[in-house]
Amino acid sequence: MNSPWKTEVLAVFRKEAMTELRTKSGLATGALFGFATVVTVAFALFNINPNRVDAVFRDAPLKDVCASLLWTIVLFSALLSLPRAFLAEEENGTADLLRLMARPHAVFWGKMLFNILQTWALSLFLSVLFIAFTGLEVPLPGVFAFCLLGGGASVAGAVTLCGALAAQASNRAALAGAIAVPLLLPLLQWGVTGMKASFGGGFEGGGIAAAVGMVSYAVLVVVVGPWIYAAVWKS
Amino acid sequence: MPPEGDPRTALGYAALEMALYSSLTVDEHLSLAANLRGCDARADELLEMVGLTYARDLSAGQLSTGMKARLKLAMAIQPRPAVLLLDEPSAALDEQGRALVAQIAQEQTARGALVVATNDPQERSLATHELALEN
Repeated sequence: MNSPWKTEVLAVFRKEAMTELRTKSGLATGALFGFATVVTVAFALFNINPNRVDAVFRDAPLKDVCASLLWTIVLFSALLSLPRAFLAEEENGTADLLRLMARPHAVFWGKMLFNILQTWALSLFLSVLFIAFTGLEVPLPGVFAFCLLGGGASVAGAVTLCGALAAQASNRAALAGAIAVPLLLPLLQWGVTGMKASFGGGFEGGGIAAAVGMVSYAVLVVVVGPWIYAAVWKS
Repeated sequence: MPPEGDPRTALGYAALEMALYSSLTVDEHLSLAANLRGCDARADELLEMVGLTYARDLSAGQLSTGMKARLKLAMAIQPRPAVLLLDEPSAALDEQGRALVAQIAQEQTARGALVVATNDPQERSLATHELALEN
């Protein structure tokens, strides 16, 4: 990335960060949804048998459930907050301002970079909360961190791309959701596999492979996303 | 600087219905526009010219319609464009604002081309050529 590209991408990133810090719309929505869900899940799990929490979590099937629950919470929190990056520009009428001044690659990368950082912050917060509330043990913290970072980046990339592609449609929110389903399916599989392995409920190798898959997915979206977005960008 | 003819710097545009980022300040709008277009921000000079120096730290959401119109004019002329497109530039402006539009039009015609879409007789007087769009 040469200097003008870097300046343009950082300008979009700064704009996104300042807007989010001042309005707190995306982060607050995602964090509140995630918090409420973690608390609900924790109550539900503890209600299975409050006196056997440790024993329950040593059972492999419950580690599967925890992996699925945590990944679902992270995914839906991201889905609530991330597509706003492009949809809000169209709804507020500021997309035309960007089209006049910016190149599509800079807009896509700037927004995606911000979404990735926001997803990492959100998933870290929700994971710590989930582990604290449920008392779940993480015997493979390296795999867990790798999955969280790779998964966060790939989810943010995929959802940013969905928002970008759907932004100019008349029924943009519904379309973004519809495009997201096939794009997110492989991430659901990898995310649950990786998390399960990090909780000690699967093979370590399988968890690492899932994390590598998610990182590769994120790299693919970073490289290919702007070219797809440029094709739908109105000049 | 972007290559000559790059529409981001060769074309300036300001219109009443064009939206601004309500949470960004006047200064941040000029800085964002300059960074995206690869041109000099010229914030002090432009804000003094459009009379918004006192409002540089106000967010766009706090600006009146007239102040927003002045900010859009500043953003439009920021890269010193070869072609400046103005859609009813005086619509939300007072007498001082109208004088500002006349000054911008004078400077632009010396530098390149100016296209104004308007129904206002005073704005029509800025033109050297008129094209009437009917029906």
